[in-house]
Amino acid sequence: MIELQGLTKTYAGKRVVDEISLTLDSGEFGVLIGPSGCGKSTTLKMINRLIPLSGGRILLNGEDIATLPVEQLRRRIGYAIQSTGLFPHWRVAQNIATVPQLLKWPKSRIDDRVDELMTLFHLEPAEFRDKYPHQLSGGQAQRVGVARALAADPEVLLMDEPFGAVDPLTREVLQAEMRRVHRQTGKTIVFVTHDMDEALKLATRIALLDRGRLVQYDRPIELMVEPANDFVREFIGEADLGLKLLSRRWVHQYQRPPQLGAEGAGDDALSATSHRWQCDADGRPLALAGARLDDAQRVTEVTPAWTATADMSMKEALSRMVWYRVTVLPVVDADGRLVAEIGMAGIMGLAAPPATGDNA
Amino acid sequence: MTPATSNRQGWRQRASGRVVLPFMTLLLIALTLGMAQLEPLFRALFPDLGNPLYARDSFLNLMLAHIGLVLVSSLISVTVGIIAGLFVTRPAGREFEPMVSSLAAIGQTFPPAAVLAIAVPLAGFGFAPTIIALSLYGLLPVVQNTIAGLGTVPQATLEAARGNGMSRWQILRRVELPLAMRVIIAGIRVSVIINIGTATIGSTVGAKSLGTPLIAGLVGNNLAYVTQGALLVGLLAIVTDLTFERLERRFSFGG
Repeated sequence: MIELQGLTKTYAGKRVVDEISLTLDSGEFGVLIGPSGCGKSTTLKMINRLIPLSGGRILLNGEDIATLPVEQLRRRIGYAIQSTGLFPHWRVAQNIATVPQLLKWPKSRIDDRVDELMTLFHLEPAEFRDKYPHQLSGGQAQRVGVARALAADPEVLLMDEPFGAVDPLTREVLQAEMRRVHRQTGKTIVFVTHDMDEALKLATRIALLDRGRLVQYDRPIELMVEPANDFVREFIGEADLGLKLLSRRWVHQYQRPPQLGAEGAGDDALSATSHRWQCDADGRPLALAGARLDDAQRVTEVTPAWTATADMSMKEALSRMVWYRVTVLPVVDADGRLVAEIGMAGIMGLAAPPATGDNA
Repeated sequence: MTPATSNRQGWRQRASGRVVLPFMTLLLIALTLGMAQLEPLFRALFPDLGNPLYARDSFLNLMLAHIGLVLVSSLISVTVGIIAGLFVTRPAGREFEPMVSSLAAIGQTFPPAAVLAIAVPLAGFGFAPTIIALSLYGLLPVVQNTIAGLGTVPQATLEAARGNGMSRWQILRRVELPLAMRVIIAGIRVSVIINIGTATIGSTVGAKSLGTPLIAGLVGNNLAYVTQGALLVGLLAIVTDLTFERLERRFSFGG
């Protein structure tokens, strides 16, 4: 748990961080967001004392961080930054092992931990262990940077615009991985970004800052539904508010049991709103009959490109429906078996089973 | 540059290093030990000279004395230079950077012969004034490259090192020095090579070196002596340079 109490930073008489107070519970994914110069990075760097406080205090699990020896404090807090800051003269494994080595873990424990983290981030240890940072792609380097931050199992993970410098495609992948890693490790994370879509995708709590002041601190949905003032409304962007809302809803909240049908049976009863799935013997979807506005009788072959998974956002599901011109998507499990379907009713927020809240 | 061409160039460099360095080293040793065997050659090249082979001292002795001068003076330049470079790149010494840089620059713009002239009344003749002159002369490249090398360490790398809980000493030893080492070694290389050449003038104040036959040849109008001294000094510089090149490559991390 992190508590900021009246946090203030003054540079040459100017308050760049002005009396910020907020509490982030353990296991929460907190995002600090705001326009350039709003003080979000400064706030983050005060948590691991890279920047000294001018006023207020910060409690880490109840302890005032000012009372802790600074190097010990930093070894308890993971730190990942935009340009990765990987040590160019160290191989990937040694980079990840930075903090465990400082903490003098035994070598076998370090090796196990490095392998564990590389596997967590889908970096094959045998292939990547001995590479130098300059041999990695941007996305791989960023994964190593986050793995290094997590290496000593820190109480808190600080991330300063970690995905700001990678291409959009890689960023999407890294964001999805970050959600998964957060779910799997249950770490408390403080994440700085200026990208609202990224914040909405990742955060369980968003702190919106403007000129050093905390404007609103809320859950993502509440930030969208009940903005504190016009600045919040403008910063979120009203134009695609509906789509942003969908980016916070997950397929598993709105999916329903699939309408299965025998092959070729009842085709004449099909319309844009009724449809049948055809599956193979293992339960993998083969084709979709109906559910098309252009040709109700058409049978569409199922391809992985337009299947959905339970942890996909409703925004992505909608995007696939639009692109493939179907009104329903198959929801498959890890083995590709049809477990549910997601349709336009789900997009409209009508859940088949009652909604289970909006924080997946 | 694509990785393929850089690899090929790297390969060519390594291959040439593998051949050239041992060859030059052998040649240096052979000439140092066996210059006397070349007497007929020098007699043929310089038929007017009655005595075409320097024989007042063995070339081995001269070579060892020369290497000794360079080693001691370079050790001083490197130690003082790196410590000064480190000092002015720490927060406490940052203010002194312009002063240290210009002091080192003055050390190099001052001709070694002039330093010798000043040092002799203070330190007497021979080894000591030569060491003073050479150490001052070799200081600048070491100081400059230490400052430049530490300056090449990316800010993000330093921030990550601090953020991960390294102490100042750990950052210096594990991150800054290894990353700056290539540039620092390049500075040491320049300093040592300069001093190999400059050490010859030590002979004018009585320090034994490969400059001794050179000076003797110049004074006595004996071109053969000059050739013999110059040949060995040149070879020593080449061998040293190639060795440093190999050393530098060891600290290249490609990034």
